[in-house]
Amino acid sequence: MKVLDRKLVRELRSSSFLLLAVGSIMAIGVSAYAALGSAYRNLMTAQRLYYADCRMADFTVDLKKAPLADVTAVGALPGVVEIRPRIQFLATVDLENVLEPINGIVISMPNERRTVINDVVLRQGGYFTDRRDNEVILNDAFARANKVYPGMWIHLLLNNRRQELFVVGTAISSEFTYLVGPGSMVPDAKRLGVFYIKQTFAEEVFDMQGACNQVVGRLAPQVRERPDDVLRRAERLLDSYGVLNTVPLRDQPSNRFLSNEIMGLRAFGIINPAIFLAVAALVLNVLMSRLAEQQRVVVGTFKALGYSNAAIFWHFLKFGLAVGAMSGLGGCLLGYWLAGGMTAMYDTFFEFPSLENRFYADITTQALCIGLACGMLGSYHGARQVLKLEPAVAMRPKPPAVGGAIWLERIPSLWNRLTFPARMALRNVLRSRLRTAAGIFAAAMGATLSVDALLLAFETNYMVDFQFELIQRSDIDLTFKDEQGRDAWDEAARLPCVDRAEPLFDVSCTFSNGSHTRKGAITGVLPDAKLMIPRDTEARPLRIPESGLLLTKKMAQILHVEAGDVVEIRPTKGLRETHRVRVAEIADSFLGIGVYADIHFLSRLMNEEFAVTGVQLQVRPGDEQRHALYREIKQLPAVQGVSARADIVRNVKETLVKNQHVFIGLLVMFAGVIFFGSVLNSSLVSLQERQREVATLRVLGYGPWQIGNLFLRESVLVNGVGTLLGLPLGYLLNYGIVVAYDTEMFRIPLINPTQVWLIVIVLGTLFGCAAHLVVQRSIHKMDWLDALKTRE
Amino acid sequence: MTLPANQPPPPGVLLRLTDVGKTYHMGEVDVQVLREVTLNIYDHQVLAILGPSGSGKSTLLNIIGGLDSSSHGSVWYRDREMTRFSPRELTVYRREVVGFVFQFYNLVPNLTARENVMVSTEISRNPLDVDEALDLVGLKERADHFPSQMSGGEQQRVAIARALAKNPELLLCDEPTGALDYATGKRVLRLLVDACRKLGKTVVIITHNAAIAQVADHVIRLRSGEIVEVHDNPEPAPPEEITW
Repeated sequence: MKVLDRKLVRELRSSSFLLLAVGSIMAIGVSAYAALGSAYRNLMTAQRLYYADCRMADFTVDLKKAPLADVTAVGALPGVVEIRPRIQFLATVDLENVLEPINGIVISMPNERRTVINDVVLRQGGYFTDRRDNEVILNDAFARANKVYPGMWIHLLLNNRRQELFVVGTAISSEFTYLVGPGSMVPDAKRLGVFYIKQTFAEEVFDMQGACNQVVGRLAPQVRERPDDVLRRAERLLDSYGVLNTVPLRDQPSNRFLSNEIMGLRAFGIINPAIFLAVAALVLNVLMSRLAEQQRVVVGTFKALGYSNAAIFWHFLKFGLAVGAMSGLGGCLLGYWLAGGMTAMYDTFFEFPSLENRFYADITTQALCIGLACGMLGSYHGARQVLKLEPAVAMRPKPPAVGGAIWLERIPSLWNRLTFPARMALRNVLRSRLRTAAGIFAAAMGATLSVDALLLAFETNYMVDFQFELIQRSDIDLTFKDEQGRDAWDEAARLPCVDRAEPLFDVSCTFSNGSHTRKGAITGVLPDAKLMIPRDTEARPLRIPESGLLLTKKMAQILHVEAGDVVEIRPTKGLRETHRVRVAEIADSFLGIGVYADIHFLSRLMNEEFAVTGVQLQVRPGDEQRHALYREIKQLPAVQGVSARADIVRNVKETLVKNQHVFIGLLVMFAGVIFFGSVLNSSLVSLQERQREVATLRVLGYGPWQIGNLFLRESVLVNGVGTLLGLPLGYLLNYGIVVAYDTEMFRIPLINPTQVWLIVIVLGTLFGCAAHLVVQRSIHKMDWLDALKTRE
Repeated sequence: MTLPANQPPPPGVLLRLTDVGKTYHMGEVDVQVLREVTLNIYDHQVLAILGPSGSGKSTLLNIIGGLDSSSHGSVWYRDREMTRFSPRELTVYRREVVGFVFQFYNLVPNLTARENVMVSTEISRNPLDVDEALDLVGLKERADHFPSQMSGGEQQRVAIARALAKNPELLLCDEPTGALDYATGKRVLRLLVDACRKLGKTVVIITHNAAIAQVADHVIRLRSGEIVEVHDNPEPAPPEEITW
């Protein structure tokens, strides 16, 4: 090893604390890049392969009922490559040993195995056999969660008839990569299953001989990105068969959730590493500038000995490169591990044939290069300073630092009020501009990250509580297969242990105002409903008008209407007559494009006396009562879906909130590394620089704690200012995320909890103080007699 | 004998300075630290440059050593005009021709004695053996010690070994005994004189200590940036015999 490299190695070893401070920040930046990049790639690859394996549909058209012969015309539309008509219905499932009713999606599949659009990947057992008509293939997650295996019999309520089905296998399909039931946000494998039955059996039980109620299809690559034209034409073609819904792949719920997650990873994969690496480069800069300063005589000597500028520059740059290489390596390892954790987490949400954490040579190389580049960038300034040193000047002791007055001293009324230690701290902080700027920037970024992470956590909790405590207050919701009359409501009210029952009437329809059109639904509620209270963003109950519609702001924007305007609505079911309805009110809401109306008004509008599509129940507490209720519900043929609020909330909190806590914990820990690392680095550098000053103070009778106190004041000042700056920055970042996630479906509420600010200030202070303990230890261990001899 | 400034010096003259001056610009004030210094440095001799603090002797040494440039005048190294050297040529000059010995040794603190010498040998074209260099200064046994484990005299001897190890023609010593006690100082002087007498190096010593000048063949005295006295010493005293 060359002697200069030996010098480098020893310097690296002797500055281990400082390197740890810088290196850990840099390593986290690199690891964030590697982890988010790998997780992104893992998900992307899994999605691509899975979609190809299953021949994922590019669009879905839901129909009332259409003859197969007429549906084939859709396949002949230009841009459509292939279609598959199928039968799909919702059903309730009755499993032995499971008291709660379970919801199911029943889908027809060819009797014999062949490749189809939205195909399945078999996991256990096999495909249908010739032995029985009533064979079923279950989605694998449901089978696992409810311990149902091939060879077992299960019971489904299909078309008002209880059917016994023989399980031949379990499978997964790309259209249900992320399977969520109505009213929920996260998958609940125990309470929602997908049941694939034979085509002929489906035709028979649903009275669909020679017909279908859903068309899935694939588009030519050139129209895949812009499917709307083709879908409009398909809709027109099938209009007479009652088009309920047309969904391009981008709006398919599972795909949308998965794609959003992938997009989010890509965005975070750039923002987060950038924050860490910028902080790391700045902090390293401070360290390198100090190193260059400290070694000015050595540099002068090297120059006198005949070392070229390039050799010395390279020697100093290597310091940064070494830090970058070590952090890069550590970051890659940490990143691989984090990507594994993230991928494992995704595996609990998404159902893929295989979602593996792979090693990506290119991402690792990029991450390493980023580490090296960051190290080089961080050391460049310091190395440049070395170059500028004239050998003859470098050899002379450095002239004393400029000790002029700082600008604050020009305000005597303020300055004179400060204590002596405060003045010292202020002078030091304001004179070391680069170091102070780096410290403030680092603390600001640490605070930004913490604020953002905590705000997201508070917002998620707020949203869950808002939806399930304030809006939806029922214990159990029943959804009917078709429109029912008042009897259904009465019957539900008579169910055991029901304290209160309220009807809901959902009407799917197309809204239009001139050229502005949107598919959606009107929810008809009782004006004095207690179990479903639509609210505005201020959590005030929305007043349901006696006549006319209440539109959420987003829907009003889409349709370009204001209160008092008239919109046209055309229901997708029933007579499908167009009605002109007045917009009575517009309200701001977190939940997408909801439209509300008085249930009586809506029923009249639909030419019904009183219609319900669902009932919400408030149930007396107690397991026994609830079990009795479940037993009764399972016997109701009209019920298509059942959801229990408590189960949904528990499931949401268990999965979403728990995973989010891990994510937030990690982010806060990372932010802590920034606080800790930057304070440690800046204080240790400052301590090295002021060894003589410290020694002199010791001679004057200052104790190590008193001296530590001087340094602590400076750290608290810099860290505190940075943290305070980071609070609004974090809020801004959070605002950006909220705006980015402001979709039609929902938007994240922007909240402003005082706790977040307090927590972040406490966090910044705690991590800063922890770093100061290390500094204090160095002050205690410092050989100040030796420092007095230091020739500077 | 005075030769024109634009001519190379005759054989036997290692360096020739003609009317060399140096002015520093300190804000609005110009400080002239060297004025019209004209001087020949001959091969294989010990030259002492004497002068009090602020007389410009360090500046003169820096110009001779290629660490600093003159504001005017010319400096010739053999048949090459140093004042026209590019920074790169200056680096090569320092690497190949000059060995520096500093008042405060300027050793790299985290390198051992041997490694400090290797700092020189690694960039020289014709270096001495590292151990041989350390042997010359009597520190072979202490080769693996770090500067902090050595006395000032020992550190200065390592610095001399480092300068000699490059096998330079010219040894420039800036107050080489300035930080040393009397006995150690004399020992270091002996090494420098031996470098000239036994190894044939040209040794330039700058010092404010007039007694040290007794070991030199040639002495110049500087005051306020000007040469005020030049004399030859036909019979230089051995370092052991001088006192201060």
